[in-house]
Amino acid sequence: MIENVPALLIVLPILVATLPLLVGLRYERVGWTVAALTTTAAFAMALWLALVIFTTGEAVIHQLGGFPRPIGIELVADRLSAPFVVLATGISMGVLAYTRRGGPRGNSFYSAYLLLLGGLLGLSLTGDVFNMFVFLEITGLTTYALIAKGKSGESAIAALKYLIIGTVGASMYLIGVGFLFVATGTLNMIDLATAIPQQAGYGNPLILTAFAFVFVGFAIKIALFPLHTWQPDAYQRAPDGATPLIAALVSTVSAYALFRLVYTVFTVEFLVSIPHASEIVVTVGSISVLAGSALAVMQRRVKRMLAYSSVSQFGLVVLAYGLMNDTALLGALVHLIGHAIMKGGLFLAVGTIAAGTGARTVKEYAGLAKRMPFMAGSLAVLGLALVGVPPSIGFLGKWFIAVGAIEAGIWPVAVVVLLSTMLTLGYIARLLERMYFTPAPTRGGAPEGSLATDGSGNDPTPGAVSAGMLGVTVLAALLAVALGFSGGAFDSLLGPFIEVILNG
Amino acid sequence: MSAGDSYTESQVIMSTVKIVTPFVLTYGLFITFHGADAPGGGFQGGAVIGVVVLMLAFAFGIEPTREWLDNRVVTGLIAGGVLAFGAIGLASMLLGGAFLQYELLPIHHPSRYGIEGIEILGIAAIVSGTVIGLFFATAAGFTADAFAPSDERIETQRDDRPRTGRTEGEE
Repeated sequence: MIENVPALLIVLPILVATLPLLVGLRYERVGWTVAALTTTAAFAMALWLALVIFTTGEAVIHQLGGFPRPIGIELVADRLSAPFVVLATGISMGVLAYTRRGGPRGNSFYSAYLLLLGGLLGLSLTGDVFNMFVFLEITGLTTYALIAKGKSGESAIAALKYLIIGTVGASMYLIGVGFLFVATGTLNMIDLATAIPQQAGYGNPLILTAFAFVFVGFAIKIALFPLHTWQPDAYQRAPDGATPLIAALVSTVSAYALFRLVYTVFTVEFLVSIPHASEIVVTVGSISVLAGSALAVMQRRVKRMLAYSSVSQFGLVVLAYGLMNDTALLGALVHLIGHAIMKGGLFLAVGTIAAGTGARTVKEYAGLAKRMPFMAGSLAVLGLALVGVPPSIGFLGKWFIAVGAIEAGIWPVAVVVLLSTMLTLGYIARLLERMYFTPAPTRGGAPEGSLATDGSGNDPTPGAVSAGMLGVTVLAALLAVALGFSGGAFDSLLGPFIEVILNG
Repeated sequence: MSAGDSYTESQVIMSTVKIVTPFVLTYGLFITFHGADAPGGGFQGGAVIGVVVLMLAFAFGIEPTREWLDNRVVTGLIAGGVLAFGAIGLASMLLGGAFLQYELLPIHHPSRYGIEGIEILGIAAIVSGTVIGLFFATAAGFTADAFAPSDERIETQRDDRPRTGRTEGEE
């Protein structure tokens, strides 16, 4: 029975995605209910799957069509994929609490929402590199659609921009897969791990080219500097209800996929035996950390600032991939999960604040602590967690990565990691200062004279903010803090897996 | 720009389409039905079947074609195709096998007709429905409010008014 769960997790959201369209021909506004039921069921299945995997220690494998590896396509749920399956189903369930009132509405939105969940789960569970491309495309296409759901023309442009750049990224990944297939004749990940050294050798130009294409393709999807240019527009222009989902999950699962490819397919021996391979990964990550933070500090719009912050945080994760020791890899995975919760929560808070007060720029956040205390508080807690103030999941991830960098003995990287904390504080502190220490503008006599005193946008709009919107944001903040005490748990859950990929 | 604007009635095009359409549809079905054991398949066949409707739209006008082919048909093709694919896949799981394990299906030549079922009922329906749906959606063009300035832009203008020398750049 349990071996059917990976397949069901992918098939269920995709099949149910047709229901809002079909039922929507007769009834309007069924989308939310359908999506809520489906994500809840998927979350329950994901928890069950994770429970089985972590109690038995065995991976759950579903062979599609009953064809064994390497001919058939496998779905593999193991210690690495289980947390991401739980994360994807859990966050997509949580964000629905926002979209009930906060929108966007419409049955087609929820169809795309469920398709995106199906794509993300497929990306997390597949054990086949070509199949991964298919799910990468499903994820990409639905994300473009969700971004284009924004009301303005700019949303359409942002979606088009992401479509063009994202398709290039996915195509580069596919070219990489093509090179792997030419060199080894197999597409199964577990099979590739042994076929690469046996049939081609790590130094084979085909394998090197494949690695380069796969890495650059995913660098686009993850939005690492300087391939991040689609991402700020996409996050900013997407509807407020879609941004938390996209920001929390799409790049995160892509980063998971990169980890899976680097460590399960190419393996750590490849990184060790190829000169400069790990150095390149670390350098790309480090540059992304610094450039992303610098760009984030310069932004006036909060959504855009948080988008550039993601460039920086994912830089940190990819940097840790290149450090190749267990502490850093654990840190990378913890930070991936933590970042999804924190950034999802931050975008939920930003969306709720925009719905309640119309404030969208850092300047307009002045005095917010008085107008929306819970949202300001959640934003502050999540922001500080992102900085890495203990106790929080953000602290855990950054701490492990920093210790890993020191263990690896690469001091410049350790400096970058510690600097990233300061740089994050650089843009979070601007928000905190505005919310808590700048007085709210008063009508007709704003002290700075630069605030939107003539608009009605700063008055709280009654009825625009629901208990669900507030609740899910506060929940994200509490979760970010509570998970700060789970360092030992993460180590015992993910540690054995990291041990295996590092030492064979 | 609405769909009807660019339409001009042409005897040549209408006559040609009337003659060609049955052959194109047959060819599309031919390709679709050859998915399992000969070159062909649902993607290619579905695209050709979808093109039939596009040809009709070019010959007789997009609006009349849209009214003739109800929106429910297009939605039904796409959603029905996905459901058919899923149903065939899940049927073998209910029979105790893996997803899409054709040999468990209680039919004659299960592997062949299982794949045919996926190709014809699933993929061909989805692809033709998507081709038709995208064509109609593109032809309908953008509604006026899609080009209305976003509320963010209004805020930007409002933001910028009092200050002239702006230091913080956004884009």
